Amino acid sequence: MAQLFVETREDVYRYLLTLGVHPPKAQEAVQEVFLRLYTSLKKGEKIESLRGWVFRVAHNYGLKVRARQASEERFDPALEARLTAPGNAERELLDRERMGRLNQAVEGLSEQQKRCLFLRMEGLHYPEIASTLGISASAVGEFLRRALLRLRKVRDE
Amino acid sequence: MSSPRRHSEENYLLGYLDGELPVRKARQVERHLESCGPCRAELEQLKDTLVECARYRQDVLVGQFPPAPQPWRDLYRDFSRIDESLANESLLVRLMRPLVHSGAPRWAFVTGLAALIVVGTFLQLRQAPSVQAATLLRQAVAVSATKPRPAHRIRFRTSHQQEFTRLAGTPAAVIQVAEMQVVMALFQAAHYDWNDPLSARAFQQWRDEQIHKTDAVSTVSNPEAPSESATQIQTVAAEGELAEAGIIFNSDLAPVEERLEFRDREWVEISEIAETSTESAGGAGVNHVEVPVRAAEPPSRPAAFAPGSSASISDELQVLSALSEIGADLGDTVYVNLADGKVMVTGGEGVSPQRLQKIRDSVADLPHVEVAFTPVPAATVPPETGPTGSVVFSQTVSPMQSRLEKQLGSHAEFDRFSTQVLDLDDVAMQHMYALHRLAEKFSPEDEAQLSSKDRSILHEMSRKHTDVLAEKVGNMERILVPTLTSLGGTSGRVRPAPAHTAWQPAAEDVYRSASRVEVLVSQILGMSSTSGSAAALPAELLAALNQLQGDLKDCQQFLQK
Repeated sequence: MAQLFVETREDVYRYLLTLGVHPPKAQEAVQEVFLRLYTSLKKGEKIESLRGWVFRVAHNYGLKVRARQASEERFDPALEARLTAPGNAERELLDRERMGRLNQAVEGLSEQQKRCLFLRMEGLHYPEIASTLGISASAVGEFLRRALLRLRKVRDE
Repeated sequence: MSSPRRHSEENYLLGYLDGELPVRKARQVERHLESCGPCRAELEQLKDTLVECARYRQDVLVGQFPPAPQPWRDLYRDFSRIDESLANESLLVRLMRPLVHSGAPRWAFVTGLAALIVVGTFLQLRQAPSVQAATLLRQAVAVSATKPRPAHRIRFRTSHQQEFTRLAGTPAAVIQVAEMQVVMALFQAAHYDWNDPLSARAFQQWRDEQIHKTDAVSTVSNPEAPSESATQIQTVAAEGELAEAGIIFNSDLAPVEERLEFRDREWVEISEIAETSTESAGGAGVNHVEVPVRAAEPPSRPAAFAPGSSASISDELQVLSALSEIGADLGDTVYVNLADGKVMVTGGEGVSPQRLQKIRDSVADLPHVEVAFTPVPAATVPPETGPTGSVVFSQTVSPMQSRLEKQLGSHAEFDRFSTQVLDLDDVAMQHMYALHRLAEKFSPEDEAQLSSKDRSILHEMSRKHTDVLAEKVGNMERILVPTLTSLGGTSGRVRPAPAHTAWQPAAEDVYRSASRVEVLVSQILGMSSTSGSAAALPAELLAALNQLQGDLKDCQQFLQK
């Protein structure tokens, strides 16, 4: 459990940022999710995939937190600015351009496509993504397929 | 420019790469890839895009997102707080709460309390092994605390037929024996104390960490002194590197032997070396007497399973029916076959251990069943497919998809629409395949051999599938028809149902028309290429849905007779 927390917390935290939750709230949410996980396990709940469970609960919790921060703006990591900022010496210009383009493409995806893609990047299986987002596994496959087609189009441009 | 050829398999390539396809589908894709250069090239492109995604995660998400603003909290303190609050909420309180709050009359309260005592006793009995194991371990730890032992020698025996000894009870010194390093790594990966592994505390610590576990406590003969009895605790863990651990305590509650079985099938046996022992380290060729550390075999099956009698088609039906009860005939990779006089339940690839256990349990009491699931699901490694490189596909949105998007108002609406349809399609097809399997397995001739009770079980199962199928197809029609009609589709005439004599051929028709619907749905949602004219798709899908409804009704009629 402690190990799961250490291994997973940053990933879940980042996923919450992609949902638009602000960093302090996201961190709080991650900790809260793990406490819930502990309580559920102690109460004897059978959980097939702990990582899947954590992402699912974090997703729902994150959406609620985001709704509550309604007056504020969604968290925006300003990735574009970071990627195009000059003086990023460690990365080749070309690479940066490519990642910048890819980032634009990712931002152009539909909300569901983006979520599926991010969850897949975190190593979740389709059924786990499906239960996180409340859709079917085949729909996950389809969202991902389309998301990748778009990304590829950008890459080949 | 000629339009590039596309294959329906192309839509499954991502699922294939991700190892997310059902076994059968994955094989189909694999076979197709062997003979299709363009799809192999497509697969390569897809792989490249996935690599790009992984880089994106690393460089952009991990690299550019702000780190967590605060140091992470130590959750252990919160855990113990949760433990306390849960402990206060005892079983009794939890069970009584509905009665107390429901305003039930006093006699109900008293009856309820009496029932709870019975339930409580029953739970106590059922929990006995785990309670017993925990109590025993607590006692053994207490005993060891009162009598601290000096450093002592223990002997290791491994699945590689290696033996070595070492001092226990002291922090590990530098280890030079390669084999011992391997064993130490195993212990560390399993979070099992390496310094003093043959101890109640080490066992207890590991056991406490396991969330899903099963214990067994039994009396065995003491391996050190066979005339004396000893107590053995056996714990099977659902997660973690260590799958099973067994420890034997002598009558003074001192540990004398331990056996650890790791997830990768390695095992290690540890035993105490008596002070007088003259054995030296690394004593190769030591005759080791196999000690019954493993749990006793499960109780033998009831007499009805006497060898000699062999499974019948009726037994197979029972198994199928039990699996159907828990929905294991829908989408799980579980196969049932009659072979060697037994009903073989096989497969299980990609199914979680808990689910597999549930499946095992569901058929455990049935005669002549043998469950042989594929041991550990190997990671799906897609075969190397030689790239051809020269084929490039145009990846524009299909004209049908853009028409649909326009019709529905937005891309987001289209996503919602296609998700709804795909969800329904998914469930419908699972039931369609399950129905088809039953029809294939039980031909009308087979069915004639069944008793009337078995026949009604078979019909009941099949009817369940046709009913769900009909419901989902009805829902699909409700969603699709308005949109399809507005795209110019008119439902054509339905092919008259042929005069069937049994439900099986009717189910075959259902299978054909449902498959047609599946293909057309994926084409209309832009998921696969169209062989004919895209403009005809709405009409074709409407007709196919109609046909499916007709075939389903036909099949249902047979099953209702």
